[in-house]
Amino acid sequence: MEILKKVYRYLSSMKTGLVLLVLVGSAAAVGSAFLPDVFFNTWLFKLLLIILSVNMVLCTANRFILLKSRLKKNRNKWFREIGNLLLHAGIVFILAGLLVYAFYGQNGQIAIRTGDTVDVSQIIALKEPFSLRLDDFKVEYNEDGSPSQYNSYVTVLESGITKDDAVISVNHPLNYRGVKFYQQSYGYLIKTKYTNDTGSEVEELIKEGNFIKPEGTERTVKVFRYIPNFDPNHGMVTKTMRPDNPRIIFSVYEDKQLIGVGAAQFDERVEIDENVYVVFPAVEPYTILKVKSDPGLPLAFWGGGMFMIGVTMALLAAPSQGKKTESIDSNREMR
Amino acid sequence: MKLLITVIIYALFIAYLLGAVLYFIGNKSGKKQALSTASLMVKIGLVLNIAALIVRTMIAGRLPLANSGEFTLWFTVVTVALYLYYEAKAKMREAGGAVMLISALLVGSIIVLMKGQLGEATPLMPALKSPWLTIHVLTAAVAYACFALAAGLAIMQLAKAETKITDEIIHRIVAGGFVMLSLTIVFGAVWAEQAWGSYWSWDPKETWALITWIIYALYLHLHRRLGWKGKTASKMVIAGFVLVLFTFFGVNYLLSGLHSYA
Repeated sequence: MEILKKVYRYLSSMKTGLVLLVLVGSAAAVGSAFLPDVFFNTWLFKLLLIILSVNMVLCTANRFILLKSRLKKNRNKWFREIGNLLLHAGIVFILAGLLVYAFYGQNGQIAIRTGDTVDVSQIIALKEPFSLRLDDFKVEYNEDGSPSQYNSYVTVLESGITKDDAVISVNHPLNYRGVKFYQQSYGYLIKTKYTNDTGSEVEELIKEGNFIKPEGTERTVKVFRYIPNFDPNHGMVTKTMRPDNPRIIFSVYEDKQLIGVGAAQFDERVEIDENVYVVFPAVEPYTILKVKSDPGLPLAFWGGGMFMIGVTMALLAAPSQGKKTESIDSNREMR
Repeated sequence: MKLLITVIIYALFIAYLLGAVLYFIGNKSGKKQALSTASLMVKIGLVLNIAALIVRTMIAGRLPLANSGEFTLWFTVVTVALYLYYEAKAKMREAGGAVMLISALLVGSIIVLMKGQLGEATPLMPALKSPWLTIHVLTAAVAYACFALAAGLAIMQLAKAETKITDEIIHRIVAGGFVMLSLTIVFGAVWAEQAWGSYWSWDPKETWALITWIIYALYLHLHRRLGWKGKTASKMVIAGFVLVLFTFFGVNYLLSGLHSYA
């Protein structure tokens, strides 16, 4: 029993909390400098956060139990005390929200082409499945050619029936039954017209970087990249994102040896070999959305609110008089 | 316009630097003349700083809240305004040299590190198009400014054998900065949830803001609950400001992440 009491006292003390804070801070510093991609997902770091949460729960609970007697001693301090309580409880709520996300949260990514429908339950587990159709994808530009907004026009469908439609853009996610969709990225598929190895003329949508093998030649063509605003001085990088001078960069290989690179305009007939032509009539955009469901979000949200109100009440309130007696007091309570 | 803002920035640098030098001279020699000239230089500097923000707004065609040059102008304008308020209220000019030197060096960093950021019209990228930008950036500027002022006071307190700068005044300024930093982080998290789909992603800026928050949280606990005062406490306040500077400059120039805007 004595040992248990000791352990409890140690785990619930503010000093332990401060030591844990130092550990979390130092670990985060080292992690962000040397292992930014993996460190924060390691068990070591998560364990540290969990121990810190336990310490804060106990420490705050102790404070709460003692609150009444302390307020009796000094009635003027209630504003600050409540603030303190709210602020610590808020942090615990936030950490709890993170924990819920770690166990029950789901996230994924979907790429949808205009006109296509994606079953969202293929990406994350859903109780009542629904799908998302991309009706249109539009990029808006500033005067200087930089992108000003990316818009995905979507329709939500449940067993084929339209339930909702929305425009998802950066800073404006769609929330449908607790599943959130965020505009994350986009890309282009390159429409390519050529005669394939079965002899029929086809028009295919080719992913950037993929190869095609036209009939009548030993050569292969790599459909390398779509450049919206081509400028030879910028090389393989677009000058701006606005399609002011769109080109398709392609390269031709023979026996795995690169024999040529070109920048084709839309609809330009490119001669790959004698009488073998490839045409790139257009590009077709697709949108990339982040899909997320986070049952811990309300916890974190309310925690954040409590934390902000608490920290303001605790610290901006006028400092109480008679500092000395207070610090002796708190020393005793804290052990 | 481009020339105008360059001229203003250089004049601003000189005004703050001269102010710092005059404060140091005045405090060392005890000459009242030097100290009041210093105060005047700082007030001229403050007007120039506001002018720089206005001209930048006109060049950019939006509120200047996006790149590091723009943020630095907010950082110094709040630092100097807070300092002048402190000087008037406390009737003390002891910390002027340190605070103004920090402000001058910050403006100097625009000239050295952030060339061309203030002269060009740069539209906001989609992620920054949010009302949260204004709130998040301005609370950050106030937080950083409080920490700069507190560090300036702490430096002078450590440097001098006898001083009127008390632990209590440093503590109150840090407490104000801590509230603002807390708000900055939470507002930033709410915004990140909207823009990036995740309220916390251990992005270097987030991580280092948290580390900065932790050191001030430690200071506040140690000061309020364990009664830490004097030199140790002041050293922590200075260490905290070093972390603020790292969160601002170090993360921008050494670690890359979601917050890379300039």
